[in-house]
Amino acid sequence: MMTTHEDLTRIEVDQFFPHPPSKVWRALTTPELMAQWLMPNDFEPIVGHRFAFWARPVAQTGFSGRIACQVLDLRPRKMLRISWADAEQPDGMATTVTWMLHPEGKGTRLFLEHAGFDLDDPTQQLARKFMNGGWRSHVLRRLGELLQHLG
Amino acid sequence: MPRRLKSGPLDEVFGALANPTRRDILDALLGGEHTAGDLAGKFDMARPSVSEHLRALRESGLVEERQEGRHRFYRVTGEPMAELIDWLTPYERFWRDRMTALGGVLDEMDDDDHA
Repeated sequence: MMTTHEDLTRIEVDQFFPHPPSKVWRALTTPELMAQWLMPNDFEPIVGHRFAFWARPVAQTGFSGRIACQVLDLRPRKMLRISWADAEQPDGMATTVTWMLHPEGKGTRLFLEHAGFDLDDPTQQLARKFMNGGWRSHVLRRLGELLQHLG
Repeated sequence: MPRRLKSGPLDEVFGALANPTRRDILDALLGGEHTAGDLAGKFDMARPSVSEHLRALRESGLVEERQEGRHRFYRVTGEPMAELIDWLTPYERFWRDRMTALGGVLDEMDDDDHA
């Protein structure tokens, strides 16, 4: 698994699964299966469909627990793109989540990109002030490695 | 996604991280545990100032110490670091965890492919 941090407006994560793209696609687009690894939802694999994920509210971050989404683009077994916004923060900026499926040997490499984070957010500004440039990405990468070792 | 500044432990964490020497020390500790003497040699610093930086890092919760015989070893503490990551990039860890969960679901699914 690899993560890049050079662009603070987006998060990129990828992972290899020893399963064919068609199976990964089913897990990615079947509401019951999505509920098992992501969150309960009323997703439908139709461009333009509006749906929601329901999660537990997180008091300390002001997260309401409901994520309002819309299917933006969809190419079966290849790509799914949805919008993603906190349903209770209508003035908050909507972000975009994109999954790309690439066949790799007998399996699939799944790329996830979560883009559109607001750099004007004061929290992000403070984070950048203290942890700007290479040090931040370097430390986050090493932290990620450390946390994996810690289990 | 919306994050709000909150006083509390994070103030101390960022206070500790505001100093570039402490960032270097933390970076060294991310590579494995060290004694204050190791760090003083590594950064060509006097022991008392290394100890002072280590104290600030310890009070922030980012670093903990372990006594072994006559030596004190310093190392990075897992959980405050995890919280720091969550605060800086809350979705980072979320998506890593979800990817791991997806792997589990795929392993449980039958291979029948009607797609």
